Amino acid sequence: MARTFRTTPCRLAAALLLLLAGTSGLLAEPLRVLSWGGAYERAQQEALFTPFSEAHGIEVEVQRYAGGLAELRRAVAAGEVPWDVIDMTRSQAMAACDEGLLEPLPTDLAAPAPDGPPAEHDFMPGAIGDCALTHTLFATVVAYRTDAFPGRRPTRIADLFDQRRFPGPRALQRTPAVNLEWALLAHGVPREELYRLLSTPRGLALALARLDALEEIRWWEDGEAPVRLLTEGEVVMASGYNGRFFDAMVNRDLPIEILWDGQVQEHETWVIPRHAGNPDTARAFIRFATSTERLVALAERIPYGPARASAAERVGRHPDTGVDMRLHIPTHPLNAEGAIAKDETWYARTLTRMDDYFAEWLEARQARTGEAPTPTAGGDDQPVAP
Amino acid sequence: METTSAPTGRGPLPVLRFLGLVLLGAVIGGVAALCAAGFVRGVLVLNELLLISPRSRMMFPWPELLALTTIAVPTLGGLIVGQLHRHLPQGRPHTPADAIAAVQTRRGRLPAREGGISALTAMISLGAGASVGQYGPLVHLGATLGSLGARLLRLGRSDDNITIACGVAAAIATAFNAPLAGIVFAHEVVLRHYALRAFAPIAAAALVGHVIATQALAQGALFHVAETVVPRAWEFALFVAMGGLGALLAGAYMHAILGVGRLARRLPLRPDLHPALAGALLGSVALWVPDILGMGQETLRFATIAGAFGGGELLLVLALKVAATALCLGMGFSGGVFSPALVIGTLFGGLCGSLVAALAGVSQETFVFYAVCGMVAVTAPVIGAPLTSLLIVFELTGNYALTTAALASVTLASPIAAQLFGRSLFDIQLRNRGLDLSSGRGQALLMDTRVIDYLTRECVILSPEASLDEAIATLARERHGEAYLVDTQERFHGCVTLAELESARQAAGAHRVGDCVDGERPTLHSGTTLWAAMALLEEVTGEALAVVDEGIFRGVVYEVHIARAYLHQSDALRREEHGHG
Repeated sequence: MARTFRTTPCRLAAALLLLLAGTSGLLAEPLRVLSWGGAYERAQQEALFTPFSEAHGIEVEVQRYAGGLAELRRAVAAGEVPWDVIDMTRSQAMAACDEGLLEPLPTDLAAPAPDGPPAEHDFMPGAIGDCALTHTLFATVVAYRTDAFPGRRPTRIADLFDQRRFPGPRALQRTPAVNLEWALLAHGVPREELYRLLSTPRGLALALARLDALEEIRWWEDGEAPVRLLTEGEVVMASGYNGRFFDAMVNRDLPIEILWDGQVQEHETWVIPRHAGNPDTARAFIRFATSTERLVALAERIPYGPARASAAERVGRHPDTGVDMRLHIPTHPLNAEGAIAKDETWYARTLTRMDDYFAEWLEARQARTGEAPTPTAGGDDQPVAP
Repeated sequence: METTSAPTGRGPLPVLRFLGLVLLGAVIGGVAALCAAGFVRGVLVLNELLLISPRSRMMFPWPELLALTTIAVPTLGGLIVGQLHRHLPQGRPHTPADAIAAVQTRRGRLPAREGGISALTAMISLGAGASVGQYGPLVHLGATLGSLGARLLRLGRSDDNITIACGVAAAIATAFNAPLAGIVFAHEVVLRHYALRAFAPIAAAALVGHVIATQALAQGALFHVAETVVPRAWEFALFVAMGGLGALLAGAYMHAILGVGRLARRLPLRPDLHPALAGALLGSVALWVPDILGMGQETLRFATIAGAFGGGELLLVLALKVAATALCLGMGFSGGVFSPALVIGTLFGGLCGSLVAALAGVSQETFVFYAVCGMVAVTAPVIGAPLTSLLIVFELTGNYALTTAALASVTLASPIAAQLFGRSLFDIQLRNRGLDLSSGRGQALLMDTRVIDYLTRECVILSPEASLDEAIATLARERHGEAYLVDTQERFHGCVTLAELESARQAAGAHRVGDCVDGERPTLHSGTTLWAAMALLEEVTGEALAVVDEGIFRGVVYEVHIARAYLHQSDALRREEHGHG
């Protein structure tokens, strides 16, 4: 009896695999993925796309974007969606889900952890959404030139605004997000109250006043710009994505250090657009790409925090350089001590108003200081590229 | 009179009983803490749903409708609260003052229905954005649950008082996540004595509350101060002075609440509509100054940040917050006085800090010290709890420098306010209701006991027309020294003593007893308290005092009964306050 029970699932699985291999070979329809390009895409290629093709015999075609929902909206409206899976920040995924641009995901989509715990206990809170499944966390952090402040180094996010002790120009992203949080933190506000206080005119004014007190700000939009500005010595401190700074520090050996205090963590998710051509393959891919093993492989190639506890504790060294990746991922306990969880629901509802308010302030500031105006962002969404 | 059932002897049974009381304290602490956590959560959810919290207002997709909801929500909330309060006996919600009165008079037995309705209306008031506090309702809810526990187990009055204090301690420990403050508050404000017998159950309750708070509530600290500098030596003198000013502000705040309450009684509007009117007024003003809505946690935070308010703005928000709170509480919203006092005090501290910085030309590095000192200087006199206020600061900030600064300001604040206004707002309210706690619990107990409880008609009653001989014969037969003269209409004519009758007979001046009345002898009425009766005894020697209501004779109270009642009360108090297990 016992023997039959043991062998039957194996046979079934083998048959299924054969069937899958047969059909995929027969149809050979590739999986079309939309992602962010750059170092991030290279890591995904090694950790996710190639292993998926090998395991399932399905080609993966990758296209690039810089965030935003405008194109997805057009494609869904036309009923012709050229992607099966999209790598999307959670705030945009929430907005897209509300607009009905995404397929709902089955609740049992994610695979359980290797040592048994079900997925809903293994993923971090809020990772499993109606239309989106968080796979990693990336962080917006401040980085500084290690040679800029002889004898001292910034340790708190308030140091970003302290140009007396840490003189020199700053580079900040041209968005209200992250900048307002940091400005308010520098007033000594506890992290849990940030968004409640930013919801009041007084809180906004306080944050913008702190930003306004900074003497020289270079505003950036492209995720690579802060690294370049720091490298070229145009600024001494810059905000940016932790993965890009890691790349510059470790792979290119530039004199840059990350200030982890005040890091703003964001969820990066997988979603399936409405009218996707291969929803079944897309679901199989998401299950594959969010397995503990694949998340570990990804985090060992680019320092983004895996969304599963079982993956976070298994992260080891970079396969090529041998760098201990645990120390570089935002969710490492040492790095996460002063982390801010971005209130994505808040941003999803207030983005337009906040953008207008911020743009108005920026215009006034630029008129006053004569800072170089930056070209306004095209489209209706914030480009956020991790 | 019920005697206290607390055993004071030694032996295994009293120890077991005592351990049982500690266990009961822990259970009550758990229940009270869960209810407190649910209450706090409920208010937060209501604030989000009803567009009171700034976050929900910011996220509301139709900002143009906000003006409408800002007025409509407090008005409708007031309407519901007013209707619910009609079901309460005095038409007013119960507050910590009722819990204090129950313990100080050893009455205990807080009514569950009134407690439940008051908690519900407080949640609606807070949820709809009324400018009231949440800690008062939590304290009363905890006290009611504690009293309920004692009643279910048929415990005596002393144990009832202890379980009330347990519920209070657990509620404070949960709401502030500050167990020490909970324990001290229960002793300082509710029990007003310190007995080891009460301490252990209260500590157990506070501990359970603290554990539940860290598990279930996971909320940020009420205020949270990162590393701070140490104030300059001369600034401590300012903190002491701020305490004096804060006491005056606390007095103004308390009298504003009471004053609006008095005005409201003269308002030509049905009392159950008063809260709705207050809500409409509050909402209209909040259109211009939204800081006055609700508990004001955001305002509290901003008040600790230098530069968040301009100097004039601080004064405006402070004045409006006092007015809004007085309006809401005076007009019958249900809620506490502590949270608004926190905001008012912190704004006051911020104002002092800004003034000092402007006048002395120093940096505002120590601004948060001024904010916290102002906060303590106003809250400690309002709730009558200097130690609790200090402990709240200490437990919430973990900052010793801040606590010593707060100590400096509370040094003057509490005694000045107690001299000028009363020990706390609760004491003032109770005094207005006829219960004076200013001379301690012994007096309060005697003042709460009526002589009518000891009334008897077992005495010699004579007609005023009776002859002297007849009267003397009756007294001798009944073996009494005094008789009371009552006519056929039950009217009281006075008291005669055997000695006077006898001397009148010898002098042969009078023929009827009505002419021999002892004019010096005072009478009592059915409302006379034991305290007043004791005061009369100092001047009178005799057997008993007559109780007379509007000329009608009710009976007499023997002096020996009054003395025995006094000894009995003192003994019960002594056993409750000095027993140790």
